[in-house]
Amino acid sequence: MNNLLIKIDNLKKVYYSEELETHALSDISLSIAKGDYVSISGPSGCGKSTLLSVLGLLDTATAGRYVLAGHDVSNLPNKERARIRNQEIGFIFQSFNLISDLDVKENVALPLTYRRDLSKAQRKQWVKDALDKVDMSHRAKHYPSQLSGGQQQRVAVARAIAGKPSLLLADEPTGNLDSKNAEAVMQLLDKLHADGATICMVTHDPRSASQAKRRLEVLDGRIVSDRLQLNPQSEDKHHVYAK
Amino acid sequence: MFMLSDCRYALRLLAKSPGFTALTTLVMAAGIGLSLYLFSFINTMVFKDLPFTDGDSLVQISQSRHGALEGNPLNYQDYQMLREAVQGLDEMGAYRNVTVNLSGRDGAVRYSGVRAEPNIFQLTRTQPLMGRTFNQAENLPGAEPVVVIGYDLWKSQFAGASDILERQVKIDGVSHRILGVMPQDYLFPNVAELWLPLNESPAAVSRQQAGRVYGLAHIKSGYSTTEVNQQLALLMERLAQRYPQTNSGLGAYCHSIPLSVAEDGIAVVYSMQVAAVLILFLASFNVGNLLLSRAIERGKETAIRMALGAPRARLISQLLWESILICTLGGIIGLLLLAWGLEVTERVTASFSYGRQVFWFKFGIDAFTLKVFLLFLVSTIFITGFLPAWKNSGGDFNQVLRDGTRGALSKKTGRLNRVLVISEIFLSLTILIVAGVIVVSRYLEERADYGVKTDNILIASVLLPSSRYSQAQQQVTLFNQLQSQLQQQSALGDVMISTALPGMPAPVTAIAIDGKEYLSDQQTSFPRANHILVMPGSLAKLGVELRQGRYFSAQDEGQDKATVIVTDSFVTAHFGDQSPLGKRIRVVDYDGQTPHWLTIVGVVRHVSQDKPSSADGRMPSVFRPYSQLPQAQMVLAMRLKSDVHSATLALRKTLQSLDPELPAYRIETYQAFLTRKTGPMRFLSGVFLLFGCATVLLTASGIYGLMSNTIRQRTQEIGVKRALGACEQRIARQLLLAGAAQLLWGGIPGLIVGCGLGYGMSQVMATPPQALFLIATLLILIIGAVVLTATWLPTRRALSMEPAVALRYE
Repeated sequence: MNNLLIKIDNLKKVYYSEELETHALSDISLSIAKGDYVSISGPSGCGKSTLLSVLGLLDTATAGRYVLAGHDVSNLPNKERARIRNQEIGFIFQSFNLISDLDVKENVALPLTYRRDLSKAQRKQWVKDALDKVDMSHRAKHYPSQLSGGQQQRVAVARAIAGKPSLLLADEPTGNLDSKNAEAVMQLLDKLHADGATICMVTHDPRSASQAKRRLEVLDGRIVSDRLQLNPQSEDKHHVYAK
Repeated sequence: MFMLSDCRYALRLLAKSPGFTALTTLVMAAGIGLSLYLFSFINTMVFKDLPFTDGDSLVQISQSRHGALEGNPLNYQDYQMLREAVQGLDEMGAYRNVTVNLSGRDGAVRYSGVRAEPNIFQLTRTQPLMGRTFNQAENLPGAEPVVVIGYDLWKSQFAGASDILERQVKIDGVSHRILGVMPQDYLFPNVAELWLPLNESPAAVSRQQAGRVYGLAHIKSGYSTTEVNQQLALLMERLAQRYPQTNSGLGAYCHSIPLSVAEDGIAVVYSMQVAAVLILFLASFNVGNLLLSRAIERGKETAIRMALGAPRARLISQLLWESILICTLGGIIGLLLLAWGLEVTERVTASFSYGRQVFWFKFGIDAFTLKVFLLFLVSTIFITGFLPAWKNSGGDFNQVLRDGTRGALSKKTGRLNRVLVISEIFLSLTILIVAGVIVVSRYLEERADYGVKTDNILIASVLLPSSRYSQAQQQVTLFNQLQSQLQQQSALGDVMISTALPGMPAPVTAIAIDGKEYLSDQQTSFPRANHILVMPGSLAKLGVELRQGRYFSAQDEGQDKATVIVTDSFVTAHFGDQSPLGKRIRVVDYDGQTPHWLTIVGVVRHVSQDKPSSADGRMPSVFRPYSQLPQAQMVLAMRLKSDVHSATLALRKTLQSLDPELPAYRIETYQAFLTRKTGPMRFLSGVFLLFGCATVLLTASGIYGLMSNTIRQRTQEIGVKRALGACEQRIARQLLLAGAAQLLWGGIPGLIVGCGLGYGMSQVMATPPQALFLIATLLILIIGAVVLTATWLPTRRALSMEPAVALRYE
């Protein structure tokens, strides 16, 4: 499978507290191909955000193997994990997580400032491209507090795609938005997917989930359903991918 | 009603966090206690009005030299001229400190007293307990000798006899009629236990023969001390024009008596007060920051209250109550600690002087201290309470409730935290430099080399009364006999006799060197040196090293001889590389007699009459044989062959055998004398060491608290940056650089102000400039380490979280 972007085998994530051992993820195995648009849904506390965090190298698995773009990233040192997050992965958060001290342009440029392989001009161009894609160039000098929720999330999307990552991870991207702005953001993700982006999105919202090509259902730390939506936005056809 | 419920609510909150409450209260107690201590201590020592009616206007007039407040007495004729001409002073009187031998039931005892003009008692508006004080007629030259005695003297020497008045008492061998007894604790002007009339008429003698006196007066209403000092300066300028030989460079100034004692040390006093205020600020900022952190943690609660319609005043009141309770409780604890500290201080300061302590050194919580306490309390409540109250009650509560500010520390909070860190760095560095100068000064003082061997030596002073030892030969004979008999005592070894041992102030005189030309014959044109008289053999026995020539011997004895030994510092200053042996010098005087040239026969290593690093300590000395210029008061230095008690007994017995009415006083070991001399500095340095330790603790905890708070509030931001690919080292470097930038912002002004204050103090305390540089360098390194550690620890904690956890951090 040369087209495979993510392959995880028997992934476990256990949280330990003084008296409690919580299995957030139990023996998850999953493959995601390049260009996939996957939604992950399930009830609160089922482990979907933990799965996304592990996929995004924001958290480490307790056990299991994780191969990203052909490289085993299960046990990488922090520095290498940071590099991969920076160059291979783009994050979109529910609460936008824009830095309030930085303006829109600076927020979008932030991941690029951690790279040494880009010239200043390249960085500028990539920021401009990203802002153009989300139609926020006209707000480049504004601060997050001067933007609406929808606009802030579009900026967050621009920040996620600015470094041209191979994988976009979105954690409840419409969770803090009204329906109109939520729809706009989902259209933006559709557009990005249409342009070739691989997207993995955690969502509660069935309408958002239905827009993905593939839909995973997580319950108690396990994938209980893995359906391919041949006609996204309808829920009648599906294939099981999960082992 | 609302106030009460707000107070109850604040109490409940404080009770819920006993650790927090204890920490903030103790920080406040330390801040208020330490600052208040310095203010109270300094006020009692220097600024407090003397405890007499009109004590606030009572001043002493002293002499200055080239603007330096020397605190020396004035020529009696100069004083008379000032009295006639000065406008701003009233009721002027003159006095001079004297040491007298009083013959009582148990032999002769030495007492401190004053010779004064009759109005000295009226100046303090004090009536005698018994009898009367002396009058103008009794002050005339040749009048019947009379004396007014102090309460303790009356009790100790006369068992409080009710028929004490009109009794005769022998003072310096002369019978004096007792006129009155002054009330208990009356020691005016400083440690006097008896008061004698001056019995002098300055107009009847030449300027050179006129004695030296301090002036006393009340400042007239409508005049300020500054105005009077301007008048005095002008009048002294006129005198300098009229008598350039003796008066050029001399000035006069008036100060309250305690302030006169401080002299140029007033710079140290002001620096100490600045340090006291700064440490109060430091403690307040720390507590303010802790309350601010709590307020921020309770931001959501405040937002809910605002959403429910709580008026801003109520919210501020609730938050202010916490400050009021913490500061008040801390203040009360600080006040209790202060009371204990001042009690200890009274005991410690009593050891600064050999005899009695000056009468105004009464340490305790007085009205001034309570006023300053209230001021400090209100200030600390404002500083610690205002910021959190303002910060937390003025925010956008809707935004807080919507949780829309995730991801980064707000701009205002970030700026406020930076300002607080910078302020703490500035304050701590300033305080620590001041404390460092004092501590180093004490270290240098205690290890000072006075140029002699001081161990195993007992010292004592002997004063020959002029009534029985008016002739030079009588004085020489007595001290020769005393030396030879003491040396035969089994308890004693070598006996050295001198007018001033190293470490003791000696008369400073103008010296002319044969063959050198001077600009004029004014005193100020000539170099100055300590003028010390010694018994032959004393310098060698004291361990004063001979560098050239010889020590004094029998061939130098007699008033017809004219030989002198100088220190190598004198040679370096005036002869350069040339050998001074055989060259001639003379003491400059203006008595119209033929110059009396002295031939240099030896050069000894420099000895210091004051702290070796001070200007007075660096002053060269000239030694002459005692027999060439006999004096009434000499200091004995006796090498101990047994314990101090046996040696003291041997001294007393020997003196009794020679003259039963001759007491020895100030008997103590040479080491004890030098230790007592450094007592005030040791005490001050102890206080400032405590200040320094408190400052380091407050700064370290304060900056750590602020940094920890700042970085904790940025945890999500750190999580976002890590999610976007920033590596840990990069984030740590950014935060450490931010810490370093704050170190510079606070450190550079702190260094400038601290070094400014430290320089002023080092001038007075004779601390070398290199020491100040070293202190500043060391302290900036310490504070730097504190700041970077305080940044690194919370940074490490924040980075130890998985980015996913940091992103969800609340």
